[in-house]
Amino acid sequence: MSEVVLKMQGIIKDFPGVRALNNVNFEARSGELLALMGENGAGKSTLMKVLSGVWPYPTYEGDIYLRGEKVQFSNTKEAEAAGIAIIYQELNLIPGLTVAENIFLDRQFTDSKGKISWSKTFAETQKILDDLGISDIRPTDLVQNITVGKQQMVEIAKALSLKADILVLDEPTSALTDKEVKDLFRIIRKLKADGVCMCYISHKMEEIEQVADRVAVLRDGETIGDVTPIADITLDQIIARMVGRDIKDMFPKVDFKPGEVTLEVNNLTVSNPDLPGTYKVKDASFVARKGEILGISGLMGAGRTELVEGVFGAYPQNTTGEVKLNGKALYIKSPRDAIDAGIALLTEDRKALGLFLDKSITFNTTISSLETISSKVLGIINNQQERKVVKDYVDQLGVKTPSIETVIGTLSGGNQQKVILGKWLNSKPDVFILDEPTRGIDIGAKVEIYKLLNELVNQGVTVIMISSELPEVLGMCDRILVMCEGEIVSDFERDKAKKEAIMAYATGSA
Amino acid sequence: MTVDSNVAGVGLGISKENHLLNFVKNNASLIALIVLVVGLSFADDAFFTERNLSNLSRQVTIIGIIAVGMTMVILTAGIDLSVGSVVGLSAVACTLMMQWGVPAALAVPLTLVIVGGGIGLWNGFWIAKFNIPPFIITLGMLTIARGLALTLTNGSSVPVKDNSFSIIGGGYIPPMASSIILIACAALAVYSIFREVQQSAAHGVQVNKQELYVNGAVMLSGFALAFYVFTGYKGIPVPVAIFAAIAFAGIYALNNTRFGRRIYALGGNEDAARLSGINTVRTKMVVYTIISVLAALAGIILASRLNGASPNLGTMFELDAIAAVVIGGTSLAGGSGRVSGTIIGALLIGVLNNGMSLLGVVTFYQLIIKGLIIILAVWFDVMQKNK
Repeated sequence: MSEVVLKMQGIIKDFPGVRALNNVNFEARSGELLALMGENGAGKSTLMKVLSGVWPYPTYEGDIYLRGEKVQFSNTKEAEAAGIAIIYQELNLIPGLTVAENIFLDRQFTDSKGKISWSKTFAETQKILDDLGISDIRPTDLVQNITVGKQQMVEIAKALSLKADILVLDEPTSALTDKEVKDLFRIIRKLKADGVCMCYISHKMEEIEQVADRVAVLRDGETIGDVTPIADITLDQIIARMVGRDIKDMFPKVDFKPGEVTLEVNNLTVSNPDLPGTYKVKDASFVARKGEILGISGLMGAGRTELVEGVFGAYPQNTTGEVKLNGKALYIKSPRDAIDAGIALLTEDRKALGLFLDKSITFNTTISSLETISSKVLGIINNQQERKVVKDYVDQLGVKTPSIETVIGTLSGGNQQKVILGKWLNSKPDVFILDEPTRGIDIGAKVEIYKLLNELVNQGVTVIMISSELPEVLGMCDRILVMCEGEIVSDFERDKAKKEAIMAYATGSA
Repeated sequence: MTVDSNVAGVGLGISKENHLLNFVKNNASLIALIVLVVGLSFADDAFFTERNLSNLSRQVTIIGIIAVGMTMVILTAGIDLSVGSVVGLSAVACTLMMQWGVPAALAVPLTLVIVGGGIGLWNGFWIAKFNIPPFIITLGMLTIARGLALTLTNGSSVPVKDNSFSIIGGGYIPPMASSIILIACAALAVYSIFREVQQSAAHGVQVNKQELYVNGAVMLSGFALAFYVFTGYKGIPVPVAIFAAIAFAGIYALNNTRFGRRIYALGGNEDAARLSGINTVRTKMVVYTIISVLAALAGIILASRLNGASPNLGTMFELDAIAAVVIGGTSLAGGSGRVSGTIIGALLIGVLNNGMSLLGVVTFYQLIIKGLIIILAVWFDVMQKNK
């Protein structure tokens, strides 16, 4: 049994009006990967912020022990010096600098006169990369030119160069391709062998099975059960601990009879403005029917997002092709045109493209359909009517919030997503396109969103869902398009769709 | 004025003992204004007189009118550096037209449309259509408009003599009518607050009591002060009435109209705004047009008050307008801020200018002090946000 390097005992952290952490206890050993699981809002990130000094002592109660010694960090620098490194979901690299510069940021090797020795800096970087067995990143690569997966590796390399022996990975795979995930796991296994202690936050069950040694579950700020070796617990038991109830039916698919074609897309091409002559989407043609959920599967960067954004008029200068709705050709030159025609798009990147973070739920809900709540000429908003509309959606979608005037940035990811769903439902779409609607959302909220999709289909809305999670696509969609390198390469009916076949098409190996 | 509901603070609860501290933080510029007014009243007997305050209010209007437009521009995360030059150009254009025999009733609207509208559309076109940084486009216009003003006048001043024209900048609404207007406005303001509270309660929206009381108290004491000053000295100056109407329209538009929502959305997250179906190009063009028209109006008022124009009018006004907006708490990053804050900012700058002149502070020092205060205001704002 390896040494216990990290022990957190009786951690209590209060925010005004909320107890985020309530008597959390757990320990992690050297050379192990401890999976920290829990729904969004369960307190995982808060716990890690306590660990890393973001919430300094004494803003929390309880004790933290590193190798048996009690520590009280008053800032993140002290935690870093003690060997704790956190790799956040949003990477903290500088895109315009090289890999080496990022790893040795502010610690470059200098000669006696204080001039930076680039050769030494690059050589040291190469050594770290070699140690990690990373062969496809060069120290001189600009961070902006390498994939997100590789950037993550650079972050890990940086943490290790800082002599971190406790590494926290906060949902590291949410933006990675399958291959990159494999590379990451290879490195994780190597780090384990080197005796690094890792805390791994993730929602993805299959990953936990693959890399975790033990599991700790948080629910509502409390540790549920003991830290349990992965061999002694089933996935169902983990889920039960996370949600406090059994989720029997993860995908509550309801069968409907598909009706007539509503959306028809012909030869849609989106050119790549950064690289003239290349395409993000090439000659994509498909139809979507009333009463069906059409899935679009594929790897990151396959052009799925660009395809639906192209349909939605997000980049009119770079898009060619024909879009028909209910047999009528549309002339979409902007998202406004698409919305007016009856198309809604819930974007993949919630923070950057969907939310007005410091504005209220009300503001966020009505922003895309202000015309329906305001006078025609002067555009004066009818507050009464607006509040009623918003309140109805908040109730209908079960958004957990103290008030409709609450700032949306203070809500959990699942609740934010529900508000955005409300915003698009409020535009009364005929075709509702959802790009990764359940990303970063806890299981309970996921199931609620699936049920809502069923409800919409039942009302005659055509639903198109992009998802990187194959079980989700297979579980909820009637038909599945697979994209690879900008083209639609396959079209599966629900009963013929198989995970392996979809992956084969998505990776271009079919 | 209505209660600004868009930008009400994040509902993070605060412990009781921090309440006072928090109150001070949220209303720093207002408190600074009050302290300054009280201090100056003691420092110089000439300050708190109906006559001086009436003049002060008239001086504030020029920057105030521009600052209302500047608030909108800055809310979209933009900036307009050309307003000072537009003031000069419109003042000259209007007075020149009148010299050529165009009646004031025609020269004023023509100036607003041609100078204000024209320059605004030009700025907005480049900024919105081609995504050129507003700083650059309006910096260019700063020079162009000033150059036009100098060219049109050949560098010399343009005097005018027209009684109907001088009313715009120098006239007064008679005291009797002024008091009726003020009382009516105060009553309307109180009513609108009550209605807001009732409607909020009906929808289960928690009303921030503290904010409400502050808003109410500030408004009522504002009206009381206005009543004291304007009924005691000739009545409400016409430019002050124009400014009040514009400020009210600005507050109302930002809080209660589609247009206002679009501005906040655009400044808060431009990509999300576009994907929510907002025509960002049109919204930006409208905003830049509004501020140019307001700057042109300020120029006309100035020319009217001076009974003539010089091509150098309005130099550096852009800085005072931006300072008023920033002191008023609007974020230069866009998306958050309000016109009511800007009004306080403009008053603060006005009182400071007036007070320093009364106390006989040398102009050179005035500039230094004003600059330091702007830095202090922004520093305070940033500190608060980092917490």
